[in-house]
Amino acid sequence: MAVGAVLIVLLFYLAIVAQITASSYDISRLQDQQRQLVAEQDQLRYQEVTLHAPAQVQQQAAQSGMQRIVPSSYVLANQVAIDLGSPIGDSPTDTTPRWLRAVALVVNTVGATRDVQAASKH
Amino acid sequence: MSTRALSARRPGTVDRVGSARLRVVAMLAIALVLAGMVWSRLAYWQVAQHGRLAMQAQAQYREYVELPALRGSIFDRSLTQLVVNTTVYSAFVSPDQVQAGDRDRVATGLSTVLGVDKAKLMTVLESSSKFAYVQRRFPKPKADQLRVLKLPGVGLQEETQRSYLPGITAGTTLAANLLGFVDWNGDGRYGLEERYQKALAGTPGFISSYRDLSNREIVLGSHTHQDPINGSDLVLSLDANIQYAAEQALAEGVKRDHAESGSVLIMDPSTGGIVAWADYPSYNANDFNHTDASLFKDNVLSYVYEPGSVMKVVTLSGAINAGAITPSTVINDPGYVKVGGYWIYDWDRRNHGSIDYTYVLEHSLNVGAMKAMLAEGHDAYYKNLQAFGLTQPSGIDVAGENYIPIPTAAKMQDSQYATTAFGQGIDVNMVQMLAATNVVANGGKYAPPHLVERIGTQINPLLLQPQRQVISPDTAAKMTTMMQMVVQHGSGWTSRIRGFELDQAGKTGTSQIPVNGKYTQDVWASFVGFLPAKHPKFTMLVVIRKPHYPGSDQDWTLNDGYMTAEPIWRQIALAMVAGWRITPDR
Repeated sequence: MAVGAVLIVLLFYLAIVAQITASSYDISRLQDQQRQLVAEQDQLRYQEVTLHAPAQVQQQAAQSGMQRIVPSSYVLANQVAIDLGSPIGDSPTDTTPRWLRAVALVVNTVGATRDVQAASKH
Repeated sequence: MSTRALSARRPGTVDRVGSARLRVVAMLAIALVLAGMVWSRLAYWQVAQHGRLAMQAQAQYREYVELPALRGSIFDRSLTQLVVNTTVYSAFVSPDQVQAGDRDRVATGLSTVLGVDKAKLMTVLESSSKFAYVQRRFPKPKADQLRVLKLPGVGLQEETQRSYLPGITAGTTLAANLLGFVDWNGDGRYGLEERYQKALAGTPGFISSYRDLSNREIVLGSHTHQDPINGSDLVLSLDANIQYAAEQALAEGVKRDHAESGSVLIMDPSTGGIVAWADYPSYNANDFNHTDASLFKDNVLSYVYEPGSVMKVVTLSGAINAGAITPSTVINDPGYVKVGGYWIYDWDRRNHGSIDYTYVLEHSLNVGAMKAMLAEGHDAYYKNLQAFGLTQPSGIDVAGENYIPIPTAAKMQDSQYATTAFGQGIDVNMVQMLAATNVVANGGKYAPPHLVERIGTQINPLLLQPQRQVISPDTAAKMTTMMQMVVQHGSGWTSRIRGFELDQAGKTGTSQIPVNGKYTQDVWASFVGFLPAKHPKFTMLVVIRKPHYPGSDQDWTLNDGYMTAEPIWRQIALAMVAGWRITPDR
């Protein structure tokens, strides 16, 4: 009886050890696979970085028939004389139709915005 | 039985008893000796040799594997990756594990995939060696092909390699001389890879585990493990696009001028951050083991040269700052002057008569620069050189800086003061010279030159330090105006960019190269400039070494900076104006 119990425990122990060993081999194989995938990822990253490199961009541009443009020229703006000391004149006349102003007043109130009319006019 | 008879027998009995005891004692002694020998031998193996035997036993079933740290990457200012870690493979063969019948198949497979000579492989396979590399550092696709073949006695070893971006031609990589490379031992060589080896490399970890009889790892066995600490990434002030444009313009310029070599250095005026660092000729850092070692040298930092008239910017700035001269101070320049027993001439040997210092700089006149130095005085001038950073190394964070210390103020001869005023008889590297002239562009402050802005998550402490005021902002503004005049009326005219004609500052420099104490017709031609003049976005120095224009063998002035360095400067500046969307100030 006792011998049988010991035998069962021994077999159980051996089964567990075998399972652990098999699992460790699986892990080892997967680690190897992971290393290969990481290596592939590195290659892909290098390809990606190379595709964005200035050399590659220029080569692709040349192959597409693109040419470097002549640098843009700069236009000198005419100077505008502004006299900040001059008196402020009359406000410009509002030519918006009365009905549109009324609508805007309602919409502004309802919509809680004062930009509706400006937005609709431009 | 008589008493005599008894007495005669007793001694005999005593003899027998004595001999028996002796035998027992002898047996015991022998047994003890034998046991002692066994015990001592046991003690020898179990105690004295315990350590060695335990190590031998562990070596058979226990494996210590170093876990390499991932080397940090390097990025430019826009976080464009300049170098990528890739996995490469090395194939090796163990000839003693290849059966005679398999040799031909192994040699054929290896030569087909790797392109190595089959006959040489057969020789290796027939040898009695236990290990030999077949080929080192090839890419993954080839490794995959080899795996499929399952060749006996052939193994693959994974290694990490730094892969750099392609450069302007197939035989170069981008910023090779600046970045350096990493050798097969994982050590950074040259440039940033060497200078930041410790930060980039990180700290390797290890794993100690058990292996079975077929050398497979028992992952779930008891083992010790320590993770590696990966290296830090570097973020540079470099701009990869400008770097590329600089390399391209430089290569074209050096070829066009039939020069020996050339370099370009561009700096952010306000921070001192290097934007581009180009050398020509350069090399392919991805293939460093097949590269002539002389190409690894970085001429920007390791080549010292006499800066020539670019130095006048420093000389006149110091004199103006000291109140010794102003841009409109008038002097008489007969075209020559005698100092310390030596005649010193203007480059054109003409009598210029009464001229002001703006004219001196516009036309790059040596006599005028020398008079400015004399007006300032030797001691003040020497302190000026120190303040502009020309008496010590720049300290930039790239490996391999060369500099030649100038004599102490007391040991400087009068003639050396005179020649130094216009940039001859003083040796500097490009970083020193650009940082010095950048003082003018940066409102009179010295911006310490640097490449690395961030190491991992840490900002470079250099950037947090206050900058040293060398000359007053007013002096810097005056000098800027004088340098603008150089572009508008003087030797800087070939650098003009449409739209910036009134808004760029510059100065040429051409110095004859001394050989065995005598100046030759060979020159170092250079141009330094910045734009927009009042609010500069960059400062750039171009140096061309030994240009050879047709006919210049007899006349070195044909290789002047305005003919050689300036057009290169202009081409790169155009790329910067377009790339950085720079607009004129006015």
